[in-house]
Amino acid sequence: MSFTPTPIVGGDAFEQACAIGLEADRELALSADPAATLRKYWDEIVAQGWLEAEGELADLAALAGGAGRGGLPLPVALSCGVIPFLLGRRRDLLEHRIALILPEAAVDDPADALRLEGGRLTGAVVGIETPPDPTHVLVVLDDALLFAPVDGVTRYQRIDAKPAADFRFNGTPVEVLESGITARAEQARDLGALLTCIEAVSAAGAVIEQTIAYLLNRVQFGVPLATHQALRHRVAEMYVEYENLRGLAAQALRHGSEEWRDIAFAKLRLGEAGRFIAQAAIQCHGGMGMTEDVAAIRLARRIMMAEFEYGDRSFQMRRLLDAHRAAA
Amino acid sequence: MAAPVDYEAFRAEVRDFAMSRCPPEIRAVVATYRKLSRKIWYPWQKILFEHGWGAPGWPKQYGGTGWDLKQRHIFDEVMAECDCPPQYHHGLRHLGPVIIEFGSEEQKQRFLPGILNGTDWWCQGYSEPGAGSDLASLRTTARREGDEYVVEGQKTWTSHAQESDWMYTLVRTSKEAKKQQGISLLLIPLNSPGITIRPIRTIDGWHHVNEVFLDQVRVPVANRVGEEGQGWTYGKFLLERERLGGANVAPAMKNLERTRALIERELASPAQAPKRASLEERLLLAEAELRGAQALGQEAVAATMEGRPLGLLPSVLKLGTSVTAQHVSEIALDAVGERLAPRFRPTSANAEAPGIEWVQNYLYGRVRTIYGGSSEVQKNVIAKQLFGS
Ligand SMILES: Cc1cc2nc3c(=O)[nH]c(=O)nc-3n(C[C@H](O)[C@H](O)[C@H](O)COP(=O)(O)OP(=O)(O)OC[C@H]3O[C@@H](n4cnc5c(N)ncnc54)[C@H](O)[C@@H]3O)c2cc1C
Repeated sequence: MSFTPTPIVGGDAFEQACAIGLEADRELALSADPAATLRKYWDEIVAQGWLEAEGELADLAALAGGAGRGGLPLPVALSCGVIPFLLGRRRDLLEHRIALILPEAAVDDPADALRLEGGRLTGAVVGIETPPDPTHVLVVLDDALLFAPVDGVTRYQRIDAKPAADFRFNGTPVEVLESGITARAEQARDLGALLTCIEAVSAAGAVIEQTIAYLLNRVQFGVPLATHQALRHRVAEMYVEYENLRGLAAQALRHGSEEWRDIAFAKLRLGEAGRFIAQAAIQCHGGMGMTEDVAAIRLARRIMMAEFEYGDRSFQMRRLLDAHRAAA
Repeated sequence: MAAPVDYEAFRAEVRDFAMSRCPPEIRAVVATYRKLSRKIWYPWQKILFEHGWGAPGWPKQYGGTGWDLKQRHIFDEVMAECDCPPQYHHGLRHLGPVIIEFGSEEQKQRFLPGILNGTDWWCQGYSEPGAGSDLASLRTTARREGDEYVVEGQKTWTSHAQESDWMYTLVRTSKEAKKQQGISLLLIPLNSPGITIRPIRTIDGWHHVNEVFLDQVRVPVANRVGEEGQGWTYGKFLLERERLGGANVAPAMKNLERTRALIERELASPAQAPKRASLEERLLLAEAELRGAQALGQEAVAATMEGRPLGLLPSVLKLGTSVTAQHVSEIALDAVGERLAPRFRPTSANAEAPGIEWVQNYLYGRVRTIYGGSSEVQKNVIAKQLFGS
C-alpha cells in the first residue's frame, strides 16, 4: 500500500468538500464557460450551508482541508471563515457575494490607493480573491470596516483557478459597519492564514500521493520511475517538508486563532515547504509536470498561490522579527 | 490506577532542581558549547543519582524513576532549557535497557548499578572500517574457546572509547547464516590485553572518536548478553528504544536561542545591520522548522503513550531536525566565521580565541546527518514505506 495522507480534521464535512472539489476541478478543466461553472458550484456550497459554519474552527478546518484535497477552486477560507468572522452580527449581509479588501491589498499605482473622502470610497486595488461574480466588498480602511457595492470590476482566474478581481471605486458610497476594527481585522487575517495553511497542507498531501502514483506507473529505461533512488529521495524530502508543515498547522489549529505566533510560523513554513513540494512535484512528473492536465500539478499551483494569501513569507517574517526585537 | 500526574508541577520541580543543584561551572560548559566529557558528565550524573533521578527511562525496580513518557520528555526539555548536560547516553539509554530486557540476573546486578551511579563508562563498538550504513556486514569475529570468546578485528568511530571502561560490541560468532544472523553482543572491558585504542583526528579539532583494535582479546562467555547469534535483534531493540530521541527538540531550540543572542552581540554595530538582518531572517526560518519538529515530537510522545504506532515520525524527526540543527550552526558560523575561523588552532603560546567553540560546533555538527542512520538511509526508509515497497 502506498501513501494516503490523514486529514488534520476529517469527517463528513471534509469528505463532502473534497468530493465537490474534485467534481468542480474536473468540470472546470473542460468547461467552455468557466465563470458559469464556478457560479454553479458556488451556489451549491451556499445551499449546503457552508457559509454558516458559525465560526466553529474545527468545522472550518474540515471544509478547508477537504477543499484543499479536492482542489475546489472557490474561496473557502475567505467566504466561510474570514468574512463571517468580520461581519459578526451582520450575517444578514452574507446573502451577497462579498470580496475582502485588507489594508495591505496589492495596487498597480500607489498614488491611486484606496481612500475615503467624505464617506465615499475612491481608488483601485488589484488581484483580490472573490466569490464568483462578486456583488459587494468589505473594506478595512482607516481603522473602520466598510461595506460597499462593487463599482468598477475586472475579473480574472488566479493560477489556482479561483476567481479574483481588480476593483476600482469612483466616489462609491459606503456603509460603515464598525469602527476600531484594526485588532479584529488582524485576527481575521490570521484566521484566513490558518485556514489557508490547512487547505494547503491537505493539497500537499494529495500532491505527494499523486506523485507517488505517477512514479509507480510511469516506465522509463524498462522500469517504473519509482525504482530510482534519486526520485524516491525527492519524494521522501517532500514528505518530510509536508509532515513538518502539517505538525505546525495542526498545532496552530489546536491553539486557536488567538495564538498569532503559531499561525505566523505555520504561514512562514508554508512559503518554504509549499514551494518545495510544488516544485518537486513538477520535476518528478517531467514534461507532464508542465501541463495543466495533471491534477497534482493544478494542486501544486494552488499551493504556490497560497503563499500570497493573508501575509506572505516576508510579511510573517517581519512581524515575528518585530516581536522578537520588542521582547529583547 | 496511579493518581494522574500534575505535569506542570512536575516541570516546576525539575526546573527548581536543575537550577539549584546543577553546578554553575557545569552549566557554563554547556552554555558556551565546550566539549562535554566524562569529567563534566560524571559529577552531574552523581548528583542526579543521589536524588533518585539517575535513570529517567528505567523501571523503578532497577533504580529508575518510573516516570511516564511525558514526564521524561519534560525532564529532557527542562534540562536543555537550564543548560544542564544531557545525560551520557551509552549506558543509560542504549545498553541499560538491553540488559534490563535480555540480560541475565548476574549481568543486571553487575552492570546496572555502575551505569546508574556513573562509575562505569560505556562506549559503543558497532561500526567497522567495512561496516557503516551496512552494519550487518561487520567482520570482527568471536571464536569460542571453552568459557571464553577470543575476539579478533577492528572497530572504528568509537565515540568516547578514550575515556570509557567498557565497550558493548557487536561481533560475528557464526559465518554460516545470513549476515544479520550470527551476530552476538559482547561486553568487553577496555583494559583487556590485546586492545589498542587510537584517536581519530576529526575536522572539529576535538578528540571524540577512536579506532579500537582487538587482537586475540579474551572475553568471558558470561559477558555475552542474551543468546549467541541474536545480537542483531538486540541492536534493533536498542534502536527502537531510541526512536523517540528525535522528539526532544529542546536542545536544538536552546541552541537557536543562543545563536540569536550571538548574532545580536556579534553584529551590533550599524555597519553590520544588513548582515544581521539577513542572519536573523534565516534563523527565523530555522525556528519555524524546529517548531514544526517540536509539534511532531509532541505528537510522537502522545502516540506512544496511547499505544498508537509511530509510523514514519521517528525518521521524519531525525532527518528534519538534523538538517535544521546544521542550518542553525551554519548561521552561527556566518556570524563569527570571518573573525574566528582563521584562529582555529593556536600555534603560539599566548594565542587564544574565545568563542572558537562556535566554529568547532559547526564542524562537529556535520556528523548529524551521517550517524544514527544517515540522511540517505532515512530517506530510503521513508520512501520504502511511502511507495509501498
Ligand atoms: C563523530 C562520529 C561518531 C560516531 N560514533 C560512533 C560510535 O560511538 N559507535 C559506532 O559504532 N559508530 C559510530 N559512528 C559511526 C557511524 O554510525 C557511521 O559513520 C555511520 O553509520 C555511516 O557509516 P559510514 O561512515 O561507513 O558511511 P557509509 O555507509 O560508507 O556512507 C557513505 C555515504 O553513502 C551514503 N549511503 C550509504 N548507503 C546508502 C544507500 N543505501 N543509499 C544511498 N546512500 C547511501 C551515506 O548516507 C553517506 O552519505 C560515529 C561516526 C562519527 C562520524
